[in-house]
Amino acid sequence: MARKMLIKALPASWNVEITQASNGREAVAAYHAGKADVMFLDLTMPEMDGYAVLETLQHEGLDSFVIVVSADIQPLARERVRALGAAAFIKKPVDAVQIERVLREYGIEL
Amino acid sequence: MTAELLLSEDQRDALQEVTNIAMGQAGARLAQILDTFVHLSVPRINITGSAQITQAIEHMVGSGASITAIRQSFGGTLHGEAMVVYDELGCRNLADLMGYEDDMGQAQERELLLDVGNVLVGACLNGVADLLNATLSFSAPTLIAENAGVDRLINTQQLTWNYALLVEVRFTLEIRDFTCHLLTLMPEESIIQLKNALDTFMDNL
Repeated sequence: MARKMLIKALPASWNVEITQASNGREAVAAYHAGKADVMFLDLTMPEMDGYAVLETLQHEGLDSFVIVVSADIQPLARERVRALGAAAFIKKPVDAVQIERVLREYGIEL
Repeated sequence: MTAELLLSEDQRDALQEVTNIAMGQAGARLAQILDTFVHLSVPRINITGSAQITQAIEHMVGSGASITAIRQSFGGTLHGEAMVVYDELGCRNLADLMGYEDDMGQAQERELLLDVGNVLVGACLNGVADLLNATLSFSAPTLIAENAGVDRLINTQQLTWNYALLVEVRFTLEIRDFTCHLLTLMPEESIIQLKNALDTFMDNL
């Protein structure tokens, strides 16, 4: 459901291939498979949470643009993911305008 | 339990995400009160008939556990009762976190449990209600069990609702474990309304 809500909020004009992962482990696997130029990452996930994914990616040299999408609105959550290399933080429920703004801000072509 | 009360996989998935978003609000409020970082877990959702409710709660907190619980009734688009169940360790850790010494008065401890419970219930249920375009109002929280067995929590003879929507939410604090469980008890018609609201929510995606 979280993924469905996010996918619906992505810009319609954005020409990308979407790979979905239902937990952190699958996300890391997709990243290793070269499927994640941009990654929308939840923090609260089974198996491996978003923080652990960021740590893994950072450890491996982070070659992805990670946007954290989370319901966790604690200021410290935002600081921590930034420190772990996330480019941006978007709070749930996601809003299409905000996603487009973040993508444009970082010069991603839509 | 009749089939129409069971959540479909999609409905459960939707409710889990809606609850997850609401828990974000609750967790942030809790973090503010306790002045510590709160780790949120994936909420677990289950519907159970009232006859099995004691068993289901024991499954959450461990059988033979001594618990303390508060309740708050809610009305509006959905109605029922919400409970927050703390285990023994949870109560003690909560008091420690608030900087209370061992001699913390019973009245103070009760007030703390009521306050925290109230914050969690309000943030969680209002969050769910907002996302589903429902409105809810709440009664003041009351303490319904203090260091009692789970079987003391619910008197199945006096139930005015037939089903319980169990939302298991675990908050883990940075400093120490603090676990509490949030439960919602609702009559049949509210569960059906909730299911309809979830369907509408998904249709609008």
